[in-house]
Amino acid sequence: MGEMLLNRPIAATFRWLHVNGTKVNVPDTVLERSVDVEENGEETVVTECATPNEKFVGSVGENGTLRLIQIRRKEDPEQVINDVSVRCAKGARFEWYRVILGGAATYDNCSVALEGEESSFAASIGYRLGGTEKADINCEAIHTGPKSRSDIYSSGVLSGQADKLLRGTIDLRHGCVGAEGAEMEDVLLMDEDVRNRTVPVILCTEEDVAGAHGATIGRPDANTVYYLQSRGVPREETEKMLARAKMDAIIRRIPAESVRDALLKAEDEEA
Amino acid sequence: MNGEKTQVEDVHQEFYDFRFDESDFFKVDSGLTPEIISQISDEKKDPAWMREFRQHALEVYSRMKMPDWGPSVEGLNMDNIVTYVRPNTERMNTRWEDVPDDIKETFDRLGIPQAERTSLAGVGAQYDSELVYHNVREEVARAGVIYTDIESALHGPYADLIRERFMKLVPLTDHKFAALHGAVWSGGSFVYVPKGVHVDIPLQSYFRLNAPGAGQFEHTLIIVDEGAYLHFIEGCSAPKYNVANLHAGCVELFVGRNATLRYSTIENWSKNMYNLNTKRAKVEEGGKIEWVTGSFGSHISYLYPMSILAGRGSRSEFTGVTFAGAGQILDTGCKIVHAAPDTTSYVNTRSISKSGGENIFRSAVVVEKNAENSKSAVSCQSLMVDRISRSDTVPVMDVKTNRADIGHEARIGRISNDAVFYLMSRGVTEEEARALIVSGFADNVSKELPLEYAVEMNNLIRIEMKGVIG
Repeated sequence: MGEMLLNRPIAATFRWLHVNGTKVNVPDTVLERSVDVEENGEETVVTECATPNEKFVGSVGENGTLRLIQIRRKEDPEQVINDVSVRCAKGARFEWYRVILGGAATYDNCSVALEGEESSFAASIGYRLGGTEKADINCEAIHTGPKSRSDIYSSGVLSGQADKLLRGTIDLRHGCVGAEGAEMEDVLLMDEDVRNRTVPVILCTEEDVAGAHGATIGRPDANTVYYLQSRGVPREETEKMLARAKMDAIIRRIPAESVRDALLKAEDEEA
Repeated sequence: MNGEKTQVEDVHQEFYDFRFDESDFFKVDSGLTPEIISQISDEKKDPAWMREFRQHALEVYSRMKMPDWGPSVEGLNMDNIVTYVRPNTERMNTRWEDVPDDIKETFDRLGIPQAERTSLAGVGAQYDSELVYHNVREEVARAGVIYTDIESALHGPYADLIRERFMKLVPLTDHKFAALHGAVWSGGSFVYVPKGVHVDIPLQSYFRLNAPGAGQFEHTLIIVDEGAYLHFIEGCSAPKYNVANLHAGCVELFVGRNATLRYSTIENWSKNMYNLNTKRAKVEEGGKIEWVTGSFGSHISYLYPMSILAGRGSRSEFTGVTFAGAGQILDTGCKIVHAAPDTTSYVNTRSISKSGGENIFRSAVVVEKNAENSKSAVSCQSLMVDRISRSDTVPVMDVKTNRADIGHEARIGRISNDAVFYLMSRGVTEEEARALIVSGFADNVSKELPLEYAVEMNNLIRIEMKGVIG
């Protein structure tokens, strides 16, 4: 397929910031998966990003629930492209759990159409990147359904020369009366050569809605480090604990017990 | 009261919407050609370097692309824009009595001479492309403060100072309209506040664009030297025409070591105006730039004052309110570059969208690798008054060091029915209650302005919020 512009956000911004999409060499072959959850149905799908170019298309019927758990490991292909698009009908819920445990380059796009009344989307994105690893993520919640809800939460740790870009968009469109969207990112920067870009966007063309976003980006909190050190925990250990906490905040949300436990165990080993 | 709506009327511009005949004014042809640029140079008696600079700027303009990430500027056809209009006065005046009657009446009606008498240390008044009045209080001038039109300063003792800085903070390649400004700029002020001088009362420049289908391209260059303080106020307005007008001014601010500059703007251009303005400040060690901005007018705005925190411990504060009504797309915000250690930035904005108006808050906070121990906090809140309007928030944070603490929060919502109900239960009408809530919402800006301007801004909001219950 050659070079393509991926992760193009709904709303572009200043060109000099280079966040209006990323040019990537896209492999010719795509592994496609499709899941349709029927009315009142419930399904949990776990995918390991073992192929370089994956596409997931989902639809969730009335009052149905789809949980998609996607793990990206260091040992996966160097470059991974992961494209997710899901549509939610009335009362339907889509939960996206995305854990990135390293890998040279990860390009994620997740676009969710909240079309039905009281449909909802919850994204939990965790990343731990080191060395020269990079992750480029675009996550969009498009609200057209009345009283629809979206909640995009991400938490991660960057060390070495890691480079992360997260664009999160809550798009409150005409018709989504009573809708609410919230977005929060919490990033821990461990080393002086890291780069973090955060683009939390809210677009709004409806009056009776609420949209909010927040972000905190920085080094380990000095007070916490001091407190733990005063209790005899060495600084290096303290920082590891804080980094671990960022990942745990996402991993503990994963509803599939076996996946969650395996990830927590891997985190223990990493520590 | 659920389901009831207050219909909020469009922005009232009558106060600013008056005009006088300009048939005896000198105008260049509409459009952009090297010959027109030469004609402007002749009019301005440009030094050789400036003549060359303008022609080079036109070349840069011709090869640059239109912005493709913001509101459409398709309605702006540069072939129809007259880039230079000289009023029927031969020179800049230092006494209002010497300003031609119709121009003087314009500024009288805008309250400028009165404000000068009561609350300003100096005033510059620009009409179309030329400054027609400039004056500074004697005691301020005695302290060594220079406040003059930039063109005469280009020929005087400050010529080298200006040449060293002119369009260095905002290079021609910054964007297409910066290049346009470089080619056709005209009018504007030069301010120099010497070391340690504290100018207690503000200076103000007022820009009035009266000619239909014209552009205004004033250049403001301010240098606040080490340890000095200045509050500079900028106001602007225009009557409404059925053709597009263009404002592409440029503001370059140099804040010295431990100096402070407060730059306040109350912008109320008419709704046929394309306001494509560029403002930038460079702040040295321990210095501080404070931006206070109220944007009420124009059809399309692109406006993002930028702070470059170049010296250790330098600071930036940005406080803004934007009010977009029918036919307006106001794309506003700010940019901050932390380029030195221990720098701090704080952004606090409010936007109100009504009657189909569109607000876009756009920001960039960039923390460079060497900006260790820097801190930034951004807060923006938006109010949607009805469901035919639009409000977007597009912030970017780019952090290149771990030794920084960056926070951001934003919120979009509507006027709380509970708050309206509470005020109504205390005897306030619904219309007044909504106006009161919006005034309170914009309080972040009004409390930062000198009293007279805060009152004017609150009155403006009150008038704009005046409507009928439907």
